[in-house]
Amino acid sequence: MNGTVLRQLGRRLIVALPILAIVSALLFAVLRLLPVDPAAMSLPPTATVAEVEAKRAEMGLDRPLPQQYLIWLRNVAAGDFGTSIHFRRAVAGLIAETLPATIELAGLAMLIAAALGIAGGLYLFHVRGTAKEPLADLGSIVLLSIPEFLWGLFFILLFGVAVPLLPFTGRLAAGFQRPVHTGFLLIDTLIDGRLDMFRDALAHMALPALALGIAFSPAIMRVLRSSLIDVYHEEYIGQARLRGLSERRILVRHALKNAILPTLSLMGVQFGFLFGGTLLVEVIYSYPGLGNLMVDAVRNADLPIIQAVGLTYCVVVLLINTMVDTLYLVLDPRLRPR
Amino acid sequence: MSALPRWLRSGRVVAGLLIVVLVALAAVLAPLVAPNDPQEQHLVATLLPPAWSPGGDAAFPLGTDSLGRCVLSRLIYGARVAMTVAIFAALGAMLLGAVLAHVAGYCGGAVDWTIGRAVDVWMSFPPVILSLILMVGLGVGLGNVILAIVLVDWTRFCRVLRAEVMVTAGRDYVAAARLVGFSHWRIVTREILPATLPLIITLMSLEMGIAVVVEAILSFVGMSVSANQPAWGQMIADARLSIYDTPWNLVFPILAIFVTVLGFNLLGDGLRRTLDVRLSEGR
Repeated sequence: MNGTVLRQLGRRLIVALPILAIVSALLFAVLRLLPVDPAAMSLPPTATVAEVEAKRAEMGLDRPLPQQYLIWLRNVAAGDFGTSIHFRRAVAGLIAETLPATIELAGLAMLIAAALGIAGGLYLFHVRGTAKEPLADLGSIVLLSIPEFLWGLFFILLFGVAVPLLPFTGRLAAGFQRPVHTGFLLIDTLIDGRLDMFRDALAHMALPALALGIAFSPAIMRVLRSSLIDVYHEEYIGQARLRGLSERRILVRHALKNAILPTLSLMGVQFGFLFGGTLLVEVIYSYPGLGNLMVDAVRNADLPIIQAVGLTYCVVVLLINTMVDTLYLVLDPRLRPR
Repeated sequence: MSALPRWLRSGRVVAGLLIVVLVALAAVLAPLVAPNDPQEQHLVATLLPPAWSPGGDAAFPLGTDSLGRCVLSRLIYGARVAMTVAIFAALGAMLLGAVLAHVAGYCGGAVDWTIGRAVDVWMSFPPVILSLILMVGLGVGLGNVILAIVLVDWTRFCRVLRAEVMVTAGRDYVAAARLVGFSHWRIVTREILPATLPLIITLMSLEMGIAVVVEAILSFVGMSVSANQPAWGQMIADARLSIYDTPWNLVFPILAIFVTVLGFNLLGDGLRRTLDVRLSEGR
């Protein structure tokens, strides 16, 4: 069975490759619409026309667009994303520093979203047909109407300014020397056995992760509720009742096991959105991740970074979707090829 | 026996419509209802609190921002950008997505496959990232914001509608229309479209809310309309810098965005229930 799943994972990864190629070509084409000249920007303003032309040739900007794309693709495949015009550093290094921070934040946020989503879904299902239903339902629409960055700002006002409980800038308090092993701060602090620093890192992630988690939970709630309602129409629920099982046992052992599948597939899609949602939450919390890097790059028209970060977001989303698809296969034996 | 159509009797639809109409009125009548010029800077009166708190000035009911501009007036004028983007971006995304969905669902085969793969490619971009990259390429401006949102969000319509079109196209009455010898154009517009229209309307309403949020995100990072046009996201960005002095300045644009999006979502959810559409959940 494990072999089948691995083979499926491999097959799905191969399908994702052409998508990635098209995505990177699109990215490249869109950014070439830009009316700025990266060569002129990477030189001091006193540079002569001849110097700019030489730089253009050096950067390959004088060649036809498809050729430029192929050169870029070849370099990317070799791990070379070019040099940032603004920071004057290798883009690959900048991404390696910021990507773990964003993955860490998104992962914690997804845990919160899943926990809130499942709890809320069970509650919505529990109150179905009662007097509380319209109110609970309205509540879920209200929650659905608050995007992650509004939650982020609201939490800053509430827990940062009005009742200063939690920090809301950066990843770690100023006094700490950041350990560097994996780039994942929660893991690195544990490797060093620094529980005080672990707590501090967690406190810094709490508000942004909560903002993202709350914003992405209502969709999960609503899907879990409707798939639970679907599952309760199945015959085996009635049979379980006839066998005298308690309602709680029916819900947990029979219904939830099947209703969780569509919920899981939605969570995969949601994680893609959530990963994009980190962008603004990071900016709001000055959290040094991919999002802040991207917004800085956009403000400075730093093309190599924009291209590379855009591609990184896509790679992560494609990987997540592939993994969720495969996980689906592991959990639902009916989908497995025999 | 009420003369009202069924969808107008839903509390959600009425509440949603009320909010949306109110915001739209504020946008249209902005020059009449705004107490001040939204761009005029009163540098002697920066970061004033709302009029009801100590130190407030009755001339600026909701206070002033870091450049001494009237917050209430900017809020009202900001509704113009929000509503313009909501209407035109949702309309554009709907047209592009619905046309492709009907073509894919009706034709099937290679056409369906191609459009399906295009949706896959688009879906591998987080929407916020793609719209930001498009804005980098297109440059700031109201028209470009609308274009960027259309180019990002057509997939939301295409994905959901394609399935609906396929179900409808398989129905007996559509097969009958084919046998009678109607043209493909007539079948799609006269037989299939009436069945998919309720879903299109519902999705439109939800998309308007999404467009308001995306515009706010883009204007927050300075990649939406130009700086001389007040937008809610800009106001948030400005207020964030003086969060300890005037937290109110942050509260008002947040509320404006929330209420507007809630209006569109209530409208969409109410329409979904009354028009009885099988709408797949999700954002």
